Amino acid sequence: MSENRWLATGNFFTSYKAEQRIFQTHIDRLVFIGLLVLMFVWPLIFAVSNKYMLVIDSILIAIVAVYGLNLLTGFAGLISIGHAAFVGVGAYTLATFARLLGSNHVLLTHYWPLMIVLAGIVGAIIGGIVGLPSLRLKHLYLVIATLSFQMIFQWVINFSKFYDQGQSIAIGRVFWFTGKVARKQHYFLWYYVILVVVIILGFAVRNLLRSKHGRCLVAVRDNDRAADAMGMHPGFTKVYAFALAGFFAGVAGALHAYLWRGVGFESFMLHHSISYLAMAIVGGLGTLVGSIVGPVAILMLELQVESLSEFVGHYFTSIGDVATALRPLSFGLVIVLFLMFEPRGIANWWRIVRSYFKLWPFRY
Amino acid sequence: MSYFFQLVVSGIVVGSIYALSALGFVLIYKSSRVLNLAHGQIIASGAFITYALTVWVGIPIVISFLLSMGITFFLAMSVERVFLRRLIGEPIISVIMVTIGLMSIIDGLIYMTPFGAGNFSFPEFLPKTPVALWGVSISWTQLVGVIITFIMIGGFTWFFKASTVGISMRAVSDDQFASMSIGISVPKVFGLAWAAAGLSAAAAGGILGNITGLNFYVLHSFGIIVFPVVIVGGLDSIFGAVVAGIIMGLIQQFAAGYLDGNWGLYGTADVLPYIILLIILLFKPHGLFGIHEIERV
Repeated sequence: MSENRWLATGNFFTSYKAEQRIFQTHIDRLVFIGLLVLMFVWPLIFAVSNKYMLVIDSILIAIVAVYGLNLLTGFAGLISIGHAAFVGVGAYTLATFARLLGSNHVLLTHYWPLMIVLAGIVGAIIGGIVGLPSLRLKHLYLVIATLSFQMIFQWVINFSKFYDQGQSIAIGRVFWFTGKVARKQHYFLWYYVILVVVIILGFAVRNLLRSKHGRCLVAVRDNDRAADAMGMHPGFTKVYAFALAGFFAGVAGALHAYLWRGVGFESFMLHHSISYLAMAIVGGLGTLVGSIVGPVAILMLELQVESLSEFVGHYFTSIGDVATALRPLSFGLVIVLFLMFEPRGIANWWRIVRSYFKLWPFRY
Repeated sequence: MSYFFQLVVSGIVVGSIYALSALGFVLIYKSSRVLNLAHGQIIASGAFITYALTVWVGIPIVISFLLSMGITFFLAMSVERVFLRRLIGEPIISVIMVTIGLMSIIDGLIYMTPFGAGNFSFPEFLPKTPVALWGVSISWTQLVGVIITFIMIGGFTWFFKASTVGISMRAVSDDQFASMSIGISVPKVFGLAWAAAGLSAAAAGGILGNITGLNFYVLHSFGIIVFPVVIVGGLDSIFGAVVAGIIMGLIQQFAAGYLDGNWGLYGTADVLPYIILLIILLFKPHGLFGIHEIERV
């Protein structure tokens, strides 16, 4: 995975094809394949408890969602603080089926790959509709428009009888070739499903960015008038970026619903949108590595803070609510510190480390 | 009919507090073009400081009201100095995200205090019997709150129109380079704008706390509802903020009074401002009184 923007001096490409290659060297490719094999094999070797598997699965789902947000905010330059609502659209697509047909209907339990794609498509359609204001709005105004979508989504779920006022709506256990997936294998199965989705969509993003359709997002971000002059349609591109983000979010939402075997209102609130945005920023906006590293970093931090606040709660029972306080506090500090000192995110550290090893023993 | 007038009166009361909170927002946007998402949290901290000074320290409420305005004045100024000064010239997304981060940080700090959970109400210091005007009753707290609000808004309008600092703020909002060349210190103006916003936020928080009592959750949602108000009014117009604040207050009261419970609708007061916001953004993005600077693609 090469970052063409940050090429070292002396790197010359002789053809466009060489420049667009996903893996620059054979070693890159080997390392990547090794990593994939490792990701597939390790749960078979180590026994992992359901609790940790759930955490890992949640991280992978967040990666899928952040792919979409990073496309929208990092590559197309459109800020959205309604991403959790898009994820919610995907999850509630499944909930709609569960409410209409019953939570154990064949469609939900047997044809779940189809349902995941369908949730993505619904997410894309809603994303495109929400993206319509972006035809006339920029920056600040767009932030507020997506914010209001988030609020309207919360209201719709919270006050509609059909969705049980945001109470958890159950989704049945899915079937694999061997039959119904029991509680023991549930997180195990979904680890592999989500991992495959993450890999497929990761390649999809990478390939999208190599193609005309991906590069026009970047062109519109950098200068929409110039992009217009070069024959792209900025308005269409912006709506299309929203639809793409909606697709990724919808898939993530469907996976979330299946993993938790239910859809509840409180997983798609405003502060979730903010944490998706934080993941994208901490990882590095406009990089593919960033959308993988960011969710890992933020969710790991959240876990650590949780255990820390449990620890602190034992000793300082008198001072307010330290446990609830530490989470937003650490979270806000991470966002602010990253923006002030490393606006290019963790992906930039990754780049520095990589180029150090590549050039060793020379300094440049 | 008296039900209608009652709704109008409470709409104006709520709306004028919206206007006062939107004022601080507009002040920051007008001078530095920063969309301050943490404004609701500044309002909340102003309200809690007023409460702590009045009830825990035991200072008379009028003095503690003024004192908390002073404290948030310096608080907001230091926030600008520490976090936002070094982001001048950075892309807009960084600035917005920093204010989101600030929102989280202030949230965390408030959760550390006892104010994070539970309800708090100010001691009554005005007569309890409501004033009856033409068959509509309005409590003394509400009346005094509205009067203070309008005095403050009037003061800020004058400040922007006539005082030297206000004029330099307007100059900076118009053109930063030109104002630098005539000797205005742009960072100083930004700091002052934040300070003034903090001051008005504390006032809004104090009045709100006296009228409805203090609850962090409520103050939180109050901070978000400021967005529809400022957008409808136009992001950089003080007059627009006042008009839009009162419109929003009226709409919310009417929705709660007439729509809820009919046709299976509930909680419409919470969502209508955002629907209106979206409609306004689609058809008149610069708001009712804002400057036209939106472009089409």
